[in-house]
Amino acid sequence: MIKIQDIRDAARDMLAKGEVRAVIGWQRGSRGMAAEPVVINAPEQADGLVWDPTCYHNLSLYLVNDKKAQAHAKQKPTLPIAIIAKGCDARSCVVLMQENYFRRDDIYIIGVSCEGTGVIDERKLAVALGGVKPTSAAFDGDDYVVTLPDGSEKRLPAREVMADRCLECREPFPKENNIALGEDKTGRALEAPFAALARFEQQSEAERWNYWQRQFDRCIRCFACRSVCPMCFCDECVVDSIEMKVAPTTSAEEKASRVRWIERSNTLADNFGYHMTRAMHLAGRCIDCGECERVCPVNIPLRLLNNKMEREAREQFGYEPGASIGGPSLVSSFRDDDPGTWIR
Amino acid sequence: MSDTQSYEPRIVAFLCKWCTSAGADLAGVSRIQYPANVTPIQVMCTGGVSPMYVLSALRKGADGVLVSGCHPGDCHYIEGNYLARRKLHLVKELLGFVGVEPDRFRMSWVSAAEGAKFAQVVRDFVEDLRPLGPQEKVKADRS
Ligand code: SF4
Ligand code: SF4
Ligand code: SF4
Repeated sequence: MIKIQDIRDAARDMLAKGEVRAVIGWQRGSRGMAAEPVVINAPEQADGLVWDPTCYHNLSLYLVNDKKAQAHAKQKPTLPIAIIAKGCDARSCVVLMQENYFRRDDIYIIGVSCEGTGVIDERKLAVALGGVKPTSAAFDGDDYVVTLPDGSEKRLPAREVMADRCLECREPFPKENNIALGEDKTGRALEAPFAALARFEQQSEAERWNYWQRQFDRCIRCFACRSVCPMCFCDECVVDSIEMKVAPTTSAEEKASRVRWIERSNTLADNFGYHMTRAMHLAGRCIDCGECERVCPVNIPLRLLNNKMEREAREQFGYEPGASIGGPSLVSSFRDDDPGTWIR
Repeated sequence: MSDTQSYEPRIVAFLCKWCTSAGADLAGVSRIQYPANVTPIQVMCTGGVSPMYVLSALRKGADGVLVSGCHPGDCHYIEGNYLARRKLHLVKELLGFVGVEPDRFRMSWVSAAEGAKFAQVVRDFVEDLRPLGPQEKVKADRS
């Protein structure tokens, strides 16, 4: 089991020796048991770092944010930034490097293994505890131990309340790392990969449309799913059609005839456009950190869409997102034997 | 559409400039009869057909979307059609996954010399679209 002291020591050392300019990690949050992301840049702050089953955030998002902030301030950092990364976080770092968003030596990966557990799904936990809100959670072997508001402790088998993606996770160990803490339990998948997807696909086309129609209809287009995804790093997103540059010389006709691929209103047709586009833009890039689904305020099952693309990439094109830094991306490459019989 | 009018599928077709557009022209100058259900849009290469083109056409009310370009190996840009094949396979899969009839989307290889094939592709597509009826699922509601 990873000792939190090891994580703190690693972070403190690095900052003290001036090897990195900051460390992205988790600290105790202000919202109940949940940990919250934090960026520390002084050795003494390392004592505030935590590692528990509520460290569900994919911290590579903060690498992207850091890069954007640096660019905005017109700074060119000389030191790398360190990130504490679970298996999935490390995979998204790999995709970001593969897409040349970062060079390998821009970042320093302090890997933390998920060692047979994963992280908590708060929605499942709420059901398991009948709505009682715990104040903290800790790993203990294959269990989570949560502290309830009355001070008592409750032990729960991790697999009963862990996030779906953790159940199917094949690589809880951060393969790409500078240092890694914890045991390598690669291949420990508790459920067959894409199990949830396979179950969903048993339904008929009409049932599936019924389902998605209801889901797309409910989306309020808050774009939380986009904001939280480390892969959604574009400076300008195709759904923000208002971002057209308007100069004094832009004519009314130009403004009126700008391309609106997807309107911002949350109608079924445009939500469909948004979600399909989103899934396509993440095909071969989404590494199933589950953050989009977690932050959705109305529980749209985004993971199903992502998983569909991931499995397609794997089975039809032999492509595994987040597997290696070198090599082309899914849609910028092809093989002679890509499936083509569907083409007339 | 009034009740007396029968349903005619409307197809938006993205045709590559170098092969299929020429093939469609050939069908025209050869006076090969084919249904007038297609609105052709010329693109430089199928490799440049963004999934957004397909989605946007459906959203704007197309009953079917056709993407057609050079046969593998014949792409003017060497590999554009291979990239299209991969990307558009994903689009088709995704459509089917959410329960939009994947048959509303079709891709074909038609060379500049295949006027007859182009006409056949369109005929087939129209006939396959008929039983599906108008595409209402993801059409923007303008009322
Ligand atoms: S998906 Fe895997 S690596 Fe990520 S938190 Fe879950 S178990 Fe850990
Ligand atoms: S799917 Fe959820 S998070 Fe994403 S825009 Fe819709 S409501 Fe917001
Ligand atoms: S799409 Fe969702 S699961 Fe995939 S990388 Fe982005 S936030 Fe993570």
